[in-house]
Amino acid sequence: MKRITYVLVSVILLASFGLASCAPTAAPAAATAAATTAPTAAPAKPLTIALSQEPDQLNPMFSSMSYTGWLSQMVLVGLGRWDDKNNLVPELATDIPSTSNGGVSADGLTITWHLRPNLKWSDGEPLTSTDVKFTWQVENDKGNAVYTRAGYDKISSIDTPDATTAVLHFSSLYPGWQTIFSQGPNNQGALLPEHLLKGKTGLEKDPFIHQPTIASGPYVVKEWVAGDHITMVANPNYWQGAAKLAQINFKIVPNPETALAALKTGDVDMVPDFSESDIKTLSDLETSTNGKIHLRVDAGPEFEHYLFNLGTTASTVKDASGKVIGNSDQNGPCALQDVNVRKALIMGIDRQTIVDTLLAGKTTVPANLWPNSYWTNTSMKAYPYDPDQAKKLLDTAGYTAGSDGIRHGMCGGQDVKLSFNFETTDKQLRKDMAVAVKDMLLKIGVEFKPNHLPSGTFFGSYTDGGDMATGKYDIAGYTTGFYPDPWNDNFLCSTIPTKDSPGGSNYYHVCDPKLEDMFTQANASADPAVRKKVFDAIQQYQYDNALFIPMYVRANVYGYNDRFVFPPTSVISGWSWDTFNWSVKQ
Amino acid sequence: MSAYILRRLVQALVVLFFITAVCFLLTHYSSDPMAQYANKQGMTEADRQAIRLRLGLDQPLPVQYVSWLTLAFQGNLGNSFFSHQPVLLLISQRLPMTLVLMITSEILIIAVSLVLGIISAVKQYSLTDNIITSFSFIGFSMPIFFIALGLMQVLAVQFKEWGWPYLPTGGDVWDFGDPLALAWHMVLPVTCLIIITVAGYSRFLRSSILEVLGLDYIRTARAKGLEERAVLFKHALRNAALPLITIIGLDIPALLGGALVTESIFAWPGMGRLFWEYAQKGDFPVVNGTLLLTSSAVVFFTIIVDVAYTLIDPRIRLN
Repeated sequence: MKRITYVLVSVILLASFGLASCAPTAAPAAATAAATTAPTAAPAKPLTIALSQEPDQLNPMFSSMSYTGWLSQMVLVGLGRWDDKNNLVPELATDIPSTSNGGVSADGLTITWHLRPNLKWSDGEPLTSTDVKFTWQVENDKGNAVYTRAGYDKISSIDTPDATTAVLHFSSLYPGWQTIFSQGPNNQGALLPEHLLKGKTGLEKDPFIHQPTIASGPYVVKEWVAGDHITMVANPNYWQGAAKLAQINFKIVPNPETALAALKTGDVDMVPDFSESDIKTLSDLETSTNGKIHLRVDAGPEFEHYLFNLGTTASTVKDASGKVIGNSDQNGPCALQDVNVRKALIMGIDRQTIVDTLLAGKTTVPANLWPNSYWTNTSMKAYPYDPDQAKKLLDTAGYTAGSDGIRHGMCGGQDVKLSFNFETTDKQLRKDMAVAVKDMLLKIGVEFKPNHLPSGTFFGSYTDGGDMATGKYDIAGYTTGFYPDPWNDNFLCSTIPTKDSPGGSNYYHVCDPKLEDMFTQANASADPAVRKKVFDAIQQYQYDNALFIPMYVRANVYGYNDRFVFPPTSVISGWSWDTFNWSVKQ
Repeated sequence: MSAYILRRLVQALVVLFFITAVCFLLTHYSSDPMAQYANKQGMTEADRQAIRLRLGLDQPLPVQYVSWLTLAFQGNLGNSFFSHQPVLLLISQRLPMTLVLMITSEILIIAVSLVLGIISAVKQYSLTDNIITSFSFIGFSMPIFFIALGLMQVLAVQFKEWGWPYLPTGGDVWDFGDPLALAWHMVLPVTCLIIITVAGYSRFLRSSILEVLGLDYIRTARAKGLEERAVLFKHALRNAALPLITIIGLDIPALLGGALVTESIFAWPGMGRLFWEYAQKGDFPVVNGTLLLTSSAVVFFTIIVDVAYTLIDPRIRLN
């Protein structure tokens, strides 16, 4: 038996160590120069951040993933970025172009950016206006699989009269010009190095795009062990100098309970992506550890909303040429076409109680679609919870309670029941919320029937029969947010997904000529002050017509230990917008 | 024998064809890769259409499947829809860590099962047998996430709090190439895998041994004066282990697929997580690539097990 034991132990050890030798090794260390010249005052133990998902890659131009946005803005930066006050502030540029500083021409078609002098990539090569021009060329090269060319395709040419000046000439007005060449999640404005990538196409498969070997931001990628961790070290050539922390590790920890345990043991210092349902656990932990572990809940740029299916196959809206537009391939519930019914549904849901109970009161009930930003219409107040008023509205709309307590009435010549299918994803918080809403609406005589689907099915494309795209819902719930630029095409008649136009994003299936006009006006000026007035009017119109139910402002939930000095986050750019100034207590 | 193997290989190819076709359909209907872009601000309808065309999603499903299969036959599993990296590269990055974890676990599981199974059988209905049976069933019936999180809470979090040496949660950054760190980080995940698997194997072996011990040839062996140890190990165990070999043979390919829950809880970068992370996004090439690998392994290991039978049991002839 002894011999068998020895053999077994030997086999296990040999197998383990043998396989370990072929375990994923770090991708080529790119930051040798940076690592060797990193500041010496660094703490012995690097800051470690746990992420529940691994970024697809570290270039925001080729990935729409938030994690890519968060990490890439540490490495590849743009001309501007959004700060903790949600203002666009200069990054590689000296200032933000405006009409007053001459950066924006009177017709809005020419934008001039000035780069900071003597900028360098982390490899020491100069970073100049030719990199701006090159980045635009990469965006527009059809051989490159960028995920969007929005804005970049409106630029007809870029002049680079000197190393620090880039003059952008637009073929038509693009009011969202601030979002191009500016970096942040939901944006892809990072500059690319011409000296490394010139002449290449099909860049999405280039190793540099997956893992940049040099940087323009405060950190350089030192190693990336697939599925496990990413190590970044300070870039001494960053325009502000080397960051305070010499090294930051990102560990991929898919399970939130593990992340919490690792936070307790000190294996990780910060977790930036807890879900809202973890708020209570973290709050209790903060109390039980006497503040050694902290919870922070910041308002995010998005919000959870319920939307009504307003689709109709009998649109009467006509475009300038007289052609009927805005037909959906399906009809939403007849009753929801009545604004009184929609308002009643809003007033029949106690959103504040939902926030207080399911979200520990750590977030707020918004009135509109643009919370927490310059573009918010701050004069509006969320509809109150008023079941009595809701009942009156339903009475006015002609719906009275039947024998089963559910209201019904005549609509479109038919007796219809106020019974609605509610479609949303299978996230637990959405399930809990739907249960609460069901009870609340029942009290005003409305039946609410929740159905939960995987997000891949719920958000599936029109051709794949996705519920939102094909309008297979009465009421639906998901998160949305319009940022950094407030304009969006989600309410246009032309973007209702149909058989002929399957890629549309108007999941409300709404076509309203007034709304359409206002969105057109919003894009008729490059002046933010002018646009702001139009967006205020849009929000008021949507509010008055109760086009959707804003449920709550989505919260970003952070857990971090006492060692990490966690500065304010940016609503638009998230927690990693200013890693240059991050520090730890010694 | 060679004709048999050839026939089985041809059958395997047909089976694999059906498996990949079914997997392709299931993946297609379970998640739409375009869902990633459904509510993405800044994107236009033209952007979405360009992505659909580039990924070939505008093609009819049979065309998409045949294109994928043609490339797969040439050894090219394609590139991920989202990270744009070759699928083979993604698999090669995760496979070694999965094999380290799963092979170590499997060897220990077999070793522990043999010991427990034999003791249980030899000491049938004794206190030892009852204790082993009870703990086996407790382990078998508990969900692995419960065992994993429970062990982590006690052996990592509480031990750290009490100032004792504590095991890692898996949330730390460590060097895979360091054998000591590797062994240290494997303690918790391997223990969990042993706890949930060992019950099945040991119970199977126990009943198999008991069945064999009642056969005539064992009585003959005892009658001719052999020691009980020789009866057990040289005569009974060899026959009793046959069914276990079948189970192990079928389990071996599953090793390649990894252990999703264990890998997720202990932040182990293996195949299970690779599959799950990309399946959620509807990344067909990665999902189908990993499924092809594991299903091929199942099919071919089944053939190997059948052939191995003839070597272990002379009564079985494949002709």
